[in-house]
Amino acid sequence: MLSALVAGLATGAVFAATALAYNVMFSTSKVLSVTTGHLPMLGGVAGAYVIAGLGLPWWLGLLAAMGTGALFGLLTELVAIRRVLARSDEHLWLLSTLALATMVQQAVGLWWGTEPRPFPRLIPQDFSAGLADQKFWLPIALAVAMAGGLELFYSRTMAGKLFVAMSEDAFAARARGIPTDRIRVASYALAGALGGLAGFAAGQLTFAYFALGLTLTLNGFIALAVGGLGSNVGALIGGFALGLLNALASYWFGGEYQQTIAVGLLMVVLLVKPEGLLGSKQVRPV
Amino acid sequence: MFHLLRLPRKLAASLALACIATLAQANDVIRIGWLSSLTGPLSSAAQAENQGVQLAVAEINAAGGINGRKLELLTRDTAGDPTKAVNLAQQLAFSEKVHFIIGPVNSGEGLGATPVIARAGVPNLVIGALEELTDPVKYPRAFRLINTNRQWISTANNYALKTLKRSRIALIGDTTGYGTASAKTATEMLEAAGVKPVYTVLVDPNKTDLTDELAKARAAGADVIMPWSAATGLVGRLLNARGDMGWNVPVVGHTALMAPQIRKLLNKPEYWENVVAAGYASTTFGADGKLPPATAALMEKVRSRIAPGGGEIELLFWWVAMGYDCVKVIEHAVKAAGGTDPAAIQKALENTRELRGVFANYSWSPTDRNGFPDGDMVPNIANTLRDGAFKLAR
Repeated sequence: MLSALVAGLATGAVFAATALAYNVMFSTSKVLSVTTGHLPMLGGVAGAYVIAGLGLPWWLGLLAAMGTGALFGLLTELVAIRRVLARSDEHLWLLSTLALATMVQQAVGLWWGTEPRPFPRLIPQDFSAGLADQKFWLPIALAVAMAGGLELFYSRTMAGKLFVAMSEDAFAARARGIPTDRIRVASYALAGALGGLAGFAAGQLTFAYFALGLTLTLNGFIALAVGGLGSNVGALIGGFALGLLNALASYWFGGEYQQTIAVGLLMVVLLVKPEGLLGSKQVRPV
Repeated sequence: MFHLLRLPRKLAASLALACIATLAQANDVIRIGWLSSLTGPLSSAAQAENQGVQLAVAEINAAGGINGRKLELLTRDTAGDPTKAVNLAQQLAFSEKVHFIIGPVNSGEGLGATPVIARAGVPNLVIGALEELTDPVKYPRAFRLINTNRQWISTANNYALKTLKRSRIALIGDTTGYGTASAKTATEMLEAAGVKPVYTVLVDPNKTDLTDELAKARAAGADVIMPWSAATGLVGRLLNARGDMGWNVPVVGHTALMAPQIRKLLNKPEYWENVVAAGYASTTFGADGKLPPATAALMEKVRSRIAPGGGEIELLFWWVAMGYDCVKVIEHAVKAAGGTDPAAIQKALENTRELRGVFANYSWSPTDRNGFPDGDMVPNIANTLRDGAFKLAR
């Protein structure tokens, strides 16, 4: 039972980290990009390739994971977001980001292969460590650090305050001279780097696997919706709650009910508290 | 007089027409559609099968074709996508008007494509293991070369119950269609043998850790674990959880247990000990350390193509052998039927008994479309892959 809980928390941490990446991009563009789950996938694959494939030290693998994520974030903004937002208020970004997500997944599958590959051990530790194994606590620690770091970033730094300003009212921010386009580009690069970092930290748990992206896109979105869109603490709570619920559902009822219960949780939260646990209510002035 | 003059003319015309028809048939190529998932999920199996298919086509064409007719191979990459497989099956059957279709490779693709091929009346060589892919009434021209899923399960069950003499079985399936159906079939077959599994569970194929499931299986008193999943990631995690727990319980089940990729996913190489999977006699080393002569001969023919520098073969050789046999079965059917008429091909294959292939010796009948014999299946020791083949589990 305890092993199920710890594994659930660790898996939930990956969902939470994905939800945090959603939040960073959403704050500046109001877009929920389908490519979000592919950021950790790319981080895991890049890290495994650099460390295990090229035999380079772990810190270069970390840089590669974050760099690949940041580059893909920039590409997403350039290819799937910028022109769509400039031309239309409709939710066409759903299609453009879905297309890009599919393309990157296929490209990674062709290059990396379609079978999961191992992610190297980052810290010397025996495999008999049980629940203290780094594959569990690395993603948990990272998700908590990411949420805390983002809170500090938004409240203590000028760049973070610009993100918040854009999040509250992009038109007003632009009217006050904030370079909203550049801020949006920066937010996608930041989300990419954080997503890549999450994939790196969780690599031992998930393996380096090309098809991980869409699973994380879905579960990260559920975590975000449950926790409350825009809230980093909410994303953390939503991710952990979803991971635990998945683990407990699988433990008590079997894996066939896992997804049903996860999506059921989303439905219940949306019915009872549509803004999520910690989301702010949107009030339309009339 | 007039009639006497006309008779030779008619005869000459008939003879000329007959000659033209014969020549036309000689020049008329036999078109084989090959639905192969060369990219995408399970591409490693398809790529290996493709080597066998290509080799057999090249060999037959180099020998002058079948009854003077050359083979033309039309390969279509389904990327493991059932929708693509259906569309490409339609294209091959109705637009390209092929004489035979081999595949698709994956059972999931076959569930969609096989009915389409059957509707077109094209003879179909089935290489998916799911039972539903053959049916003498619904798909009369679909003939299976690979074993059925029940044969895999039966081989594993026999090994656990009769060789290991263990009956406290924990069944672990995954939540995919294949895993769910296999776990259900395995349970039914065990119960028919008088054994009720002590623990049964379905898990998500992407479940990140299986320690909890194995702990429950151990608490239930399991003395053998039987996983039914084609997901190598899940199988790797299961073996890692068993190894990390220090529980040396035998694991017996699906061929995915001996996939070469598993070795890379294991925390320690010794976690692959005490693991047995359903395998094939054609790719199992005998007591003398040698493979069956037909397998060894085919290996030497393709070694330079599939092994870098002519060294050791690292893929599972049975895929190559099955791909090779698919084309050889077509050769047999065309020769027996005297052409490519679909009805005659169906009859020829229905009357095929003990056709010697490399992968297996095939027999079909008017009521049975599953050509792979039970006797050609054996249990293999999972971590003994050497040169594309395995050791027998005793």
